[in-house]
Amino acid sequence: MSTEAPVRPRNELKEYVYEHIPFLRDVEEKGLKRAILAKADETVVRITAGLGVADIRSALRGEPPPRPNPRTKPHTDGFILHIRPAYYHKDVTGIYPTFRLGWLSFYFFIVETITGLFLMIFYTPSPQAAYGNMLNILSNVPFGRLMRDIHRVGAEAMVAIVALHMLRTFITGSYKKPRQFTWLTGVILLLFTIFLSFSGYLLPWDQLAFWAVTIGTSMAEASPTPWPLNVILGPDFIGTNANLLLRGAPDIGAGGLLRFYLLHVFMLPLLTFLFFFVHYYKVVLHGHSLPPEKEPIGEDTARKVPMDRRVYFIPDILTSEMMLTAVVSLITIAIALFVHHAPLEHHADPQATPLHTTAPWYFLWIQGLLKLGDKTFFGVILPFGIVFPFLAVLPYLEVAPSRRYADRRLGISLGLVAAAVLVILTWMGTPAYRVQTSADQEIGQILIPGEQVGPVRAIPYDQLISGVYDNYTAPPNAPQLQAVLNELKQLVTERYAHELIGGQGILIIEDWQTDLKKITLRIVFQVPKNPENLAEGLESRTFEKTTYVHRQSNYAGEH
Amino acid sequence: MTLRVMIGTLAVVLTIALLTWTAINEPARMEAFAAGQAGRSIENGALLFESNCAPCHGKQGEGIPTVAPALNTPELFNGQRVREAQFAGSVRDFIKLTIAAGRPIPTQGSNYSARMPTWSQRFGGPLRDDQVDDLVNFVMNWGKAYEAAAATPVVTPTVAAFQPVGTDLNVQLPPGDAARGQALFNSQQPLADGKPAGCQGCHTGAAAGSIAPPVEGVATRAGTREPGLSAEQYLHKSIVQPDAFVVQGFNPVMPKDFGQRMSAQDLADIIAYLMTLK
Repeated sequence: MSTEAPVRPRNELKEYVYEHIPFLRDVEEKGLKRAILAKADETVVRITAGLGVADIRSALRGEPPPRPNPRTKPHTDGFILHIRPAYYHKDVTGIYPTFRLGWLSFYFFIVETITGLFLMIFYTPSPQAAYGNMLNILSNVPFGRLMRDIHRVGAEAMVAIVALHMLRTFITGSYKKPRQFTWLTGVILLLFTIFLSFSGYLLPWDQLAFWAVTIGTSMAEASPTPWPLNVILGPDFIGTNANLLLRGAPDIGAGGLLRFYLLHVFMLPLLTFLFFFVHYYKVVLHGHSLPPEKEPIGEDTARKVPMDRRVYFIPDILTSEMMLTAVVSLITIAIALFVHHAPLEHHADPQATPLHTTAPWYFLWIQGLLKLGDKTFFGVILPFGIVFPFLAVLPYLEVAPSRRYADRRLGISLGLVAAAVLVILTWMGTPAYRVQTSADQEIGQILIPGEQVGPVRAIPYDQLISGVYDNYTAPPNAPQLQAVLNELKQLVTERYAHELIGGQGILIIEDWQTDLKKITLRIVFQVPKNPENLAEGLESRTFEKTTYVHRQSNYAGEH
Repeated sequence: MTLRVMIGTLAVVLTIALLTWTAINEPARMEAFAAGQAGRSIENGALLFESNCAPCHGKQGEGIPTVAPALNTPELFNGQRVREAQFAGSVRDFIKLTIAAGRPIPTQGSNYSARMPTWSQRFGGPLRDDQVDDLVNFVMNWGKAYEAAAATPVVTPTVAAFQPVGTDLNVQLPPGDAARGQALFNSQQPLADGKPAGCQGCHTGAAAGSIAPPVEGVATRAGTREPGLSAEQYLHKSIVQPDAFVVQGFNPVMPKDFGQRMSAQDLADIIAYLMTLK
């Protein structure tokens, strides 16, 4: 019996295969090399949502786009570029008027996300573990310190850049109709940026973190309870509960750390991301506002870009942004490597309040306000109840149609005065303004600060020659020690001489253990027995501050 | 646009160069940071020691007799202390455990009036884990000075070979010397094995009456404890077989090894001393 299968005719089989794998037909028709190139081109078109290899090469060569312009396809067909405008007005592509500040804000948000993810891998939000995690990141994780420093530099830069972005938008009057709502979301983004930075402050769980956040959250405790709730629930209701909600307990502890961590890595980034897209969509919708002098008063022509003023996103804006990304990344990494290292102070200690505790620099103006009077009014109601809401509704108040500088002299002047007031308040927030400490304490803090290195610890170990230095003279082979003794002499006998009657500064260096020296700063001075009645005479006082320095600590290297 | 591409490319190349340079230096940097951190830990420990430990252990860890032992001493670092405390771990572990959890029961033979309190927050004390570690690092740093000495083999003090009295109650004891017995009892003289007996630690002072029966009037009471045993026989049995009879109201905490540590003469002298305490 014959069992032979029916044989397809040869042509029919080939057609069947070609139908299912058309690439093979291409190979037969065009040859292998051309077929592969065509396939590659097709793949590139898929990935770029519309641009083939030839289109990309032509764009990179700087050739004018063919018509119809294929370079706008990724904007209409692709997801990622869908939110970016396909072309810009030539007048907004220079450094002025945007200074790229909005773009920079988003760039740093992405940098913070990447470095933050890296740091999260090595971090546990618990008071038992957090500080040890920081030491581990710095001593045992390759690139750990760099990542932390970039995260820190990026955070500080982002707060500054977002604030400058707002200042620029105010000065060019770009927030005027129809962009009022864009501005409002921007004010919200500024608040989120500040709170993102502030919530990250606590996470290292060092003294800096603990006390800066203690100051910050104590403002929440001062929140007033408005009428009629204060009658029903008591005057402290909102303050007490806002504080409990934020800290998880009356004081910052394990609960507070976890809450700040979740705010920092989850809730605030999520909200920022959301509001960023609302904000940016409005930018795309209304177009980048032109420099005020480039359009007629009262008109908004940003969306009506004449053909000859168009700068297409691909390739000009895209390459410009890629270049900026590369350059700003280089600068950020260089700053993190060579200029600014994120500080790490001693382990958080609720029992030990460091002298001269301050809030982060972007909250110093509130700390300055607090020195003016009532905590509830100057710490909460004024900044968060008046200043920020006023900022948010500013474009709805300044409704004059002209954006020209000449027509906004009063507004811009007031804005600059406000900026100057902010700078002065920031200075008032530092310990330089109205913080009273006795002269002996102050000298102790200058020479042997509680947290930073300070001049005494920075003396090279080999120059810490044991001895009692009571006449401000060091051995000749210890110039750094001599410099510190000179500073001590200057502080005791000149700068603070009016407070330290007959003051004498003494530095005592003792061998304490192998490679460990004990250093005692002693200031002997006299004070009136009775400040009200100097006739009662003087009595002697002694101030002492001790520190230990180990050979390996290498403070000199980091000072 | 060519300029933009060139600047961008240059920046990328420089960034890669910078990161490569960082990667090459990273192991050395991490090592330097760890060394610096170790130094600062010792400094923190020194400050903690000054405020918490120096009042009992002395400013330089030299110890204060009858209050707390010396820490700045080779005994702690050559393992002798650890053996005396019958601790199985390393010297570092011993120091850490002692600081963290305290010493509710002192090393046998010591005569310190106070017990080491617990310092770790984990056991109700005031210090965090990292502070306990700082203190351990500070105390261990004293050992550096003795490293050279420790490199030579530890010479255990030679003790003349002796015949332990054992636990047999029928052994005939030589005549006792009450004065020497008193010195042995108060650890002013060592037993035949070269170490102090430490009786006074529990049978006198604050511990007497709570941890162990007080020594006062023992000669009077000894004859009445167990029927059929004279006072001397009862004392002999209580020292070499301490668990055989425990006075009501006390726990069997007396060391069981005195039969191996004392010669017949030691035991006779101590009994002779106790028999003077009518």
